[in-house]
Amino acid sequence: MKRNTTAYKSKQFLMFAGPALILFCMVIIVPFIYGLFLTFTSWDGVSADKPFVGFANYVSAFKDAYFWSAVARTILYSAFAVVLVNVVAFLLAYMVTSGVKGQNFFRAGFFIPNLIGGIVLGYVWKFVFNRAFVAIGDKLTGGSTPSLLSTTGGAMFCLILVSVWQYAGYMMLIYVAGFMSVSDTLKEAAMIDGCTASQAMRNVTIPLMRTSFTTCIFLSITRCFVVYDVNLSLTRGEPFFSSVMAAMHVYNKAFTYKDYGTGQAEALILFIICAIIGILQVYFSKKGEVEA
Amino acid sequence: MASLSLKHIEKVYPDGYQAVTDFNLEVEDKEFIIFVGPSGCGKSTTLRMIAGLEDISSGELLIDGVKMNDVEPKDRDIAMVFQSYALYPHLTVRDNMGFALKLRKVPQAEIDEKVNEAAKILDLEKYLDRKPKALSGGQRQRVAMGRAIVRNPKVFLMDEPLSNLDAKLRVQMRAEISKLHEKLGTTIIYVTHDQTEAMTLGTRIVVMKDGIVQQINTPEFLYSMPINLFVAGFIGSPQMNFMDALVELKDGDAYLHIGENTLKVPDDRKNALIDGGYDGKTVVLGIRPENIKADEAFLAANADSQIKSTINVREMLGAEVFLYFDVNGQQTIARVEPDTPYKNGDEAVFALDMSKIHLFDKETELNLLYKE
Repeated sequence: MKRNTTAYKSKQFLMFAGPALILFCMVIIVPFIYGLFLTFTSWDGVSADKPFVGFANYVSAFKDAYFWSAVARTILYSAFAVVLVNVVAFLLAYMVTSGVKGQNFFRAGFFIPNLIGGIVLGYVWKFVFNRAFVAIGDKLTGGSTPSLLSTTGGAMFCLILVSVWQYAGYMMLIYVAGFMSVSDTLKEAAMIDGCTASQAMRNVTIPLMRTSFTTCIFLSITRCFVVYDVNLSLTRGEPFFSSVMAAMHVYNKAFTYKDYGTGQAEALILFIICAIIGILQVYFSKKGEVEA
Repeated sequence: MASLSLKHIEKVYPDGYQAVTDFNLEVEDKEFIIFVGPSGCGKSTTLRMIAGLEDISSGELLIDGVKMNDVEPKDRDIAMVFQSYALYPHLTVRDNMGFALKLRKVPQAEIDEKVNEAAKILDLEKYLDRKPKALSGGQRQRVAMGRAIVRNPKVFLMDEPLSNLDAKLRVQMRAEISKLHEKLGTTIIYVTHDQTEAMTLGTRIVVMKDGIVQQINTPEFLYSMPINLFVAGFIGSPQMNFMDALVELKDGDAYLHIGENTLKVPDDRKNALIDGGYDGKTVVLGIRPENIKADEAFLAANADSQIKSTINVREMLGAEVFLYFDVNGQQTIARVEPDTPYKNGDEAVFALDMSKIHLFDKETELNLLYKE
């Protein structure tokens, strides 16, 4: 068979990429398109009927004040969490690549929170906030200390703290790879050129780690935007719905209030917001990346 | 520019491995010093100690008379060219070259002037706004040199700067470095494992082995008067031939028996054997390939220094021919004229230029004929 024919090339493509492509279509593309279709129906999530309602779900999604306040809350939460996750991950990576004794142990230790599922993590931290910290507070003040989770600001703070704890170890590994990709010779050249340790970090190491920053910031933004499991197990959106994130609102809309069409439309809007932010971030970060 | 003094420098790693032992060297202003030796001999470690990238375990390093052992690399006023060039990939050639000056808060106009001047010397003017990845190996190497030049440092350190280049470019860059040294009048310390680079560039060469300095001298002196077997074998390409020879002293003369061949030692060289009591002992005879000759006139004039063998391999290099043959089981190379009639498998007669032989003690490996 001639190797430059379309039939040969298609066959070769299907042989290598076919299985993955079929799976990707089945679990991502088809549900996405089906979901898109459902946004134009008033399906309740249970019945066989899916009455077509046109753009009504989008209209009600845009009019849903609770949805937009959840989106605003998610943006606020993401802004804090993304910054903190990356700062903490970068510092941890710096520490575990600086030759400190037992650095492999620390690397594994810091990564472990990422292995625990978000639901379990949320319940563990709920216990810590509601029982352990309260008991310590009571002992220190001698009075009754309210749980952080019981105040509106406190619940958001706890959510951010737990997210940092969960994601920092994972992002740390990407930063570790970034640190290790910067050649020692470049750092030595910088030292001879006159850099102090902090100048070498600022002028040589960090600019050469832009790929790590791009990846970590993208991952943390996308993860934070769709946070649900920790939100559910740690705060359940309480107190007074003050910690309901966008994903939780969408879930409640679709499955608790049986308004699947509007929920699906809101999910699509959330997806578009998330995609725009992610794409813009990757576009601008990639612009400054360098190849060695 | 500056003088440099290394006094009893040693390097011992935390695991107890001694990389450099009692290194002593006085480098005069404007000298081009070469550290040469096989891999792991401690030459790069010594260079890195001078740069401040490795701690000095003991001994003293002085630059212009000032002790530098505990001074930070940035404060030693040295510049270094690395084997991998170590150019900052995110900066343009211009910014790479001006980086050190920028850190020292030199005014931008002065930085531009110095960068342009260095770029002119190195023929890099066209590439100033490119990033390193858009340059060839030779151009990158020149940028690395330029980065050192703009600093106008006291000492230039170069760690195998040509080893990543192809053979042709290496020869070209070797000449450029040599010209640059003359032009700038700088003190340069250059590390290489390539003895050809060492011979062609250095005003003095430091030959090292296993962390110990073997000999320090000019290229010419090292070639003609190696202190021991190692230096004799390391300097020169193809390397010096070595043959085990049994010494016989008879009627005031000295003879060397190599298998069935007997060679008469010239009068100016026999005293080392007589005074050293080598009668009946085995020494190592060293002779460079160009001192083994096969032309009729030389053979006729040197009947008492002839050896016979069968040619194993004939290598034609254009301007010269290498003939490989065995003498008493040891492979020997003769560098002869290209018109030599010998081919593979021919029986051949060679004569050794006995005025150029070297004699080494078999046990201590020291050159018995060594004179400062």
